[in-house]
Amino acid sequence: MKQVEDSEILEKFSNIKTRDEAFNLLLNKYQQKIYWHIRRLVIDHDDTDDLVQDVFIKVWKNLENFRSDSQLYTWIYRIATNESITFLNKQKQRNNTPLDEVSGELEETLVASSYFDGDKIQMKLQRALLTLPEKQRLIFNMKYFDDLKYEEIAAITGTSVGALKASFHIAVKKVETFMLNEDITF
Amino acid sequence: MEENLEHSEWMKGIKETGFTTPSNYFEELNDSIRVKMAAERLRAAVPRDGHTVPPNYFEQLQSNILARTTGGATTSKQQTKIARLWRSNVLKYASAACFVIIAGMGVYFNTNEQRTIQNNSYTDAATEQMLFDIDEEMIIEHIEANYKDQQKPTAKETALENYILNNYSQNDLTTNL
Repeated sequence: MKQVEDSEILEKFSNIKTRDEAFNLLLNKYQQKIYWHIRRLVIDHDDTDDLVQDVFIKVWKNLENFRSDSQLYTWIYRIATNESITFLNKQKQRNNTPLDEVSGELEETLVASSYFDGDKIQMKLQRALLTLPEKQRLIFNMKYFDDLKYEEIAAITGTSVGALKASFHIAVKKVETFMLNEDITF
Repeated sequence: MEENLEHSEWMKGIKETGFTTPSNYFEELNDSIRVKMAAERLRAAVPRDGHTVPPNYFEQLQSNILARTTGGATTSKQQTKIARLWRSNVLKYASAACFVIIAGMGVYFNTNEQRTIQNNSYTDAATEQMLFDIDEEMIIEHIEANYKDQQKPTAKETALENYILNNYSQNDLTTNL
């Protein structure tokens, strides 16, 4: 099925008669991508479910004021990223974990999750990712799983391409070391 | 002849292409290639992350979001069938008759209500005038007499009050009540 262009969604949204249809198209196009983006950051399915709904409600409320000088999907990704990071910071505050430290609770959530059917090596990769600082994990996810370009990640995170490259390199090295030091080889 | 051509000034210009690279590019290139290869190896070994969702989750998610934004309206809204309200003349006349009856009842009760309101306003004015005519001191005496007649707390209530104050702190009372 041919994917609808962002420009078409925006045009339909600007007309009050086709606004609902436009939003429906936007959901069809982006809801899964945004779900997985958030899920990889917050790990828990139920938390992701709440966040993804909040993100699209924000999109619905603010799409009218969206300026088309930035890409629609980078704008939605940015909202999703901010919501997820705010959520994780609140979670850390509740557990008295310093903001710059990785919460061990995410690993517990992963282990206890009913919605993770990964094998040993997939679990190992997730554990390796949870050793990364939040920003490195975010960049690694967007590059490795979402296959976004550095320029796109830069637009989402507001970080320079050079800094992103450096972060990704460090993240890959850390993950590689973690995987090689464990009993599983790849 | 060929040697002369190779050493000529304009030939030197052709060998230098004018292309440049970012500073420290070649020092960082090795590292970039190594990282890319590590990422590719990782991707080949772990192609998916292992996270799953409940069955039909995304259909449900879309409905939930639409219910909280567009009110559940989707493109199918445009295909909604329109039913005709006035299918026969009997229904038309019956509706007109009902309307006349309801309008008539409305006019009748409205007139009655207005009369009652008028009567009430006369009564209110008379009461006010009567109160105005009574001496102020008489009113004060009446209130004081009524206050004295009010029931004092019984001995049982006082004892209970003392018991609570002696046995519970203020915190207990605020948190448990």
